[in-house]
Amino acid sequence: MSFLAHFLATCALVSLPLSAASPAPASVNPPPAESPPPSAETIRPFIPIPEKFIPAYFGKRPDSYLIDPQKLLSPSDFRNRLAFLNYHASDSAIDLFVFVIGRDQEIPAGIQLDEMIRRFFSSGRPAVIVFYYPNSVQRSTLLLSPSIASTIPLTEQRRILESAVMQASRKTNLSEQTEQFLVQLSIRIFWMEQMISGKSAQSEEAPHTILNPALIKSAAKAARFAKLQEVGMRLMIPAASALGTLAIIALLVALRRLTTRHFFPVHPVETRLGGDHAAGIGAVITFASAKVPPASQREQVTDFSRRF
Amino acid sequence: MNCPRCVQRIHRAAESCPHCGFSIADADVQFGIDPPQIRCLTDSAGILRRRDRQSVEAAMEKITRRFPQIFVALYTGSLGDVANIRPFSFWLLNRAVYEDAPSHMANDAGILVTIDPESKAATMVFGYLLDPFLNTQDIFECLSRAHPYWLDGRYADGFLKALNHLEVILRKKFKKARRDSEPQKPWELTPHPAEDLGQGVRTLDQTIAEPPPTEEATS
Repeated sequence: MSFLAHFLATCALVSLPLSAASPAPASVNPPPAESPPPSAETIRPFIPIPEKFIPAYFGKRPDSYLIDPQKLLSPSDFRNRLAFLNYHASDSAIDLFVFVIGRDQEIPAGIQLDEMIRRFFSSGRPAVIVFYYPNSVQRSTLLLSPSIASTIPLTEQRRILESAVMQASRKTNLSEQTEQFLVQLSIRIFWMEQMISGKSAQSEEAPHTILNPALIKSAAKAARFAKLQEVGMRLMIPAASALGTLAIIALLVALRRLTTRHFFPVHPVETRLGGDHAAGIGAVITFASAKVPPASQREQVTDFSRRF
Repeated sequence: MNCPRCVQRIHRAAESCPHCGFSIADADVQFGIDPPQIRCLTDSAGILRRRDRQSVEAAMEKITRRFPQIFVALYTGSLGDVANIRPFSFWLLNRAVYEDAPSHMANDAGILVTIDPESKAATMVFGYLLDPFLNTQDIFECLSRAHPYWLDGRYADGFLKALNHLEVILRKKFKKARRDSEPQKPWELTPHPAEDLGQGVRTLDQTIAEPPPTEEATS
């Protein structure tokens, strides 16, 4: 959850006002105000989930974070959302299980959700269980596993779902809507986690933040290299200063060498062989053949002697 | 320093070579009495291209910039026989008037490189100014750097390599000359006074050991 903490700390935070404590329902539903205006579709009675899917939904503890036995999500959407939920689970102490249910469907009356939650989610990691209705997101329901249900106030649970629904409602595309819904839930779960661990005891108002999923992905990648970057940053300053110092020294030495003028002391020298300015011969080298290397010419001899 | 003709070592202030009798007068007879007026870069043999001449002149100016007392000259020409290159270079540095050499410099400050592409020989001579600092081996090292290039006929490249090494040698020689000209440090000049100090202590001991003269002795 470190990447979320980082982003939440740096992003603009918007707080939602605390609402008055409401009676404790078994599950949390968004307020009626969030619902779209009644239409022919919404007033149509919901049909229960087909019988054949009941065991897949409620017969066992789910072995995946995304439960969609009716294949209501497209394969690519399912893959992406499941990847996100897996990532969330790897980064958070609280799992997020999402049951996808058709927009015209409802949970059969015989299914006791509280009972199901108690049965399947009493053991193991704490979890948030969401019943998500694509294209009818305001009907979504949120439940908490028993281990955290008593810790998180109902108002907070309500706010979590509200903010997720609000974010999802801004999108018209089903894929984006689902994505926004899950991302916002994930963010709010982070704050729930903080609340549980008591870190955010002084600020009961959890910030309401919108995060771009692309940013979350890049942040996840960045988190992998965080330690490496930290070490690199720690070494970078001394290394850069050392290199800079060396470069400056090299530059000064080069400048000095370029600008220095050398004056030899003048000694009186007696002239020889009648030469007013120079005498004798410095050295001679012949380059007629590569077989006569300079090393063999070191001793200065006359040309006659060399030929001999 | 060696004689340009017989390459025998000659002593200081020799008016002529004690071995072969060579002197500048002999060179004058051989190469001419009138002083030739030439430029520092004289390519009589025509072995340097225009671009080569520019780089060679730049390298020569660089030496003068670093060592303002010194100028470098390059002469290329066909001298007929390799035996001629030694006395010719000796004569040229003594007799030539370098038109473009700095006016305040005499030929004493010159370093002349002569290349004879016909006899495939090259020489480097220097004036009296550098006589206390350079020796035959230094000059030979410079020419050795040019040898592989001159074998391939790349005269300008060889000359540039030789000048580069000459600059390195001159810098070393300058440092040594400066070091030698610095006054010696006090601890280098005075011997360690330990022995003198010991003598002083012994003298003092003897003085104390000797009893003062008595009145009887004095009387």
